[in-house]
Amino acid sequence: MQPGFLSIRSLTKRYETMVAVDDLNLEIAKGELVAFLGPSGCGKSTSLRMIAGLAPATSGTISIGGKDVTQLAPYRRDIGLVFQSYALFPHMSVLKNVMFGLEMRKVPAAEAERRAREAIAMVQLEGREDRRPAQLSGGQQQRVALARALVIQPSILLFDEPLSNLDAKLRDEMRSEIRSIQKRLGITSIFVTHDQVEALSMCDKVAVLNGGRLEQLGTPNDLYERPATAFVASFVGRTNRLSGVAEGDCISVGGKALRAPGASKGKVELMVRPHRMVMTAAGETMPDFGSEPINSIDGEIRDVYYAGDILHYEIDAGGQVMSVERTTSGGETPVSPGSAVNLTWRVADTLVFGAAQ
Amino acid sequence: MTAATMITAPGSRTSSIVFLATLLLGPIIAVNGLAFIMPVLNLLMLSFRESLGGGGLGDAYTLDNWSSTLVDGFYIELIVQSILTSLMITILTLVASYPIALYLHRAQGRWRTILLVLVISPLLTSAVVRTYGWIAILADDGLINNTLKALGADAMRLLFNKVGVVIGLTEILMPYMILALLAGFGRLDPRVEEAAETLGASPWKVFWRIIVPLTMPGVALGCLLSFVLAVSSFITPKLLGGGRVFLLATEIYDQAIVTLNWPLAATLSMIILVIFGAALVLYSRLLRAVL
Repeated sequence: MQPGFLSIRSLTKRYETMVAVDDLNLEIAKGELVAFLGPSGCGKSTSLRMIAGLAPATSGTISIGGKDVTQLAPYRRDIGLVFQSYALFPHMSVLKNVMFGLEMRKVPAAEAERRAREAIAMVQLEGREDRRPAQLSGGQQQRVALARALVIQPSILLFDEPLSNLDAKLRDEMRSEIRSIQKRLGITSIFVTHDQVEALSMCDKVAVLNGGRLEQLGTPNDLYERPATAFVASFVGRTNRLSGVAEGDCISVGGKALRAPGASKGKVELMVRPHRMVMTAAGETMPDFGSEPINSIDGEIRDVYYAGDILHYEIDAGGQVMSVERTTSGGETPVSPGSAVNLTWRVADTLVFGAAQ
Repeated sequence: MTAATMITAPGSRTSSIVFLATLLLGPIIAVNGLAFIMPVLNLLMLSFRESLGGGGLGDAYTLDNWSSTLVDGFYIELIVQSILTSLMITILTLVASYPIALYLHRAQGRWRTILLVLVISPLLTSAVVRTYGWIAILADDGLINNTLKALGADAMRLLFNKVGVVIGLTEILMPYMILALLAGFGRLDPRVEEAAETLGASPWKVFWRIIVPLTMPGVALGCLLSFVLAVSSFITPKLLGGGRVFLLATEIYDQAIVTLNWPLAATLSMIILVIFGAALVLYSRLLRAVL
């Protein structure tokens, strides 16, 4: 592996009864925004705290810009950290909060104030310099926290679920704002989140963690289209699962033969994204996939949910429940439950994994 | 809803709240009035009466007690010494209690409960008993001096002087200080300390720039409580001072019980009340400044 700007080697955090982070290896290039994505307890926050120096590593090394920082105290690491709970200094004004890091770096007061005001302007909080954190809304507080972390121009910027305490609309706004500021300044950043939409839409790369281990590091497209493990496939995006027995590229699922890219053997799990499956009811014309090889199974509609932009069907296909989506075009009547339908998808859209456990 | 009900509804609600408030506050107003306000007013009246010696009171009202107290160098010295000694005790109590309170604030689970009980447990014995304990430790042939002598050092005079009073009162006031500090530590947040650390603050800077300002409400409350208790305590200064340390509270005791000059004792009591009032004003000013 090419050594990155941030280089994490065999990083492990062991508590008395459990391993929180297990042999994590990661290389992050300069200027990249990388998400640490995973369910709660997967070790993403612990990893971040180790990078920040707030939690000591049991073993392994962390180096930033070629310098080993594993044993350094947080205040010697030159990092910025944005907390989920904002963690602003309640006894200081917005301006003093943002100036704090510069003061600690012994930047002359006049210059510190000028830079702090610039940072406050960057997060669009001009005019609120003299307010106390308690006088600001949650979104504004998180902007102050962002300005406070940015103003010191850290070599690495860390975000610990910074948007989790904000409501949905504000979250979208902050997401694109953080992304554009990060890109403009070219700061190498790590963004911890349990929200896959956040990870996929904002970040250059996503590291999926599960049970303290790195499942996959890749671009959002890699994760979605070419998940390395069954966990990644089911955690990132929604999937339909089918279990079967493979023999080469032919897989038998409940007596029906399906095909999959690549050869495998033994018990396997097939996964297909719901929106890649095409549902055809009796009397409708079969979709045309051209010369592409396709898979096809029959089933019966169990339920229909209307969600405005899509119609969501639940289909019983030989005992396995599958989800399929259709975009609404207005005026159509949903295919009613009980109808026999056919599901078709491209062989290329079939993901195969060795059966778990 | 008609206009009439719209107008009367809030009105009747207000009057019922006033009634409820009177009902609920009534008992405390009665108790405070009878047991606190009346005696204090009585004391104030007494301070303007003439002392006839042997405990007798003259019928006429006079300003003599006040004028002699506020002009007499002995009493001015007494007031200043009382305030300074109490301030010193307060500061020592704060310095000794702060690390304990901070540790307790961060302790968790059963360990925290055990420590808290240990901190409070001195309050289960009376200050008199604890003062005699200090006599045993500080006396000329007490624990400390015997140890010093055994080590070949010179013995120190620790009892029947101000040193003994300060040591004893500091220890006796520590539980109150620790409890007050803990009550005022609510704004401490480990995340905020971590934020300061990641911004480049050394542990020393984190302590002075973050922890100390955020714990100021507790510090102010603890200091107010300790100061008031230090100024008004007389058993410990009397026993550990051995009659050689003169403070306002011990002087009041002497005037009231030994000399039987009640008007003078009342005057000195009123002066202590004024000092408390000043401390309270200072406390609220400080609190407003830090919040």
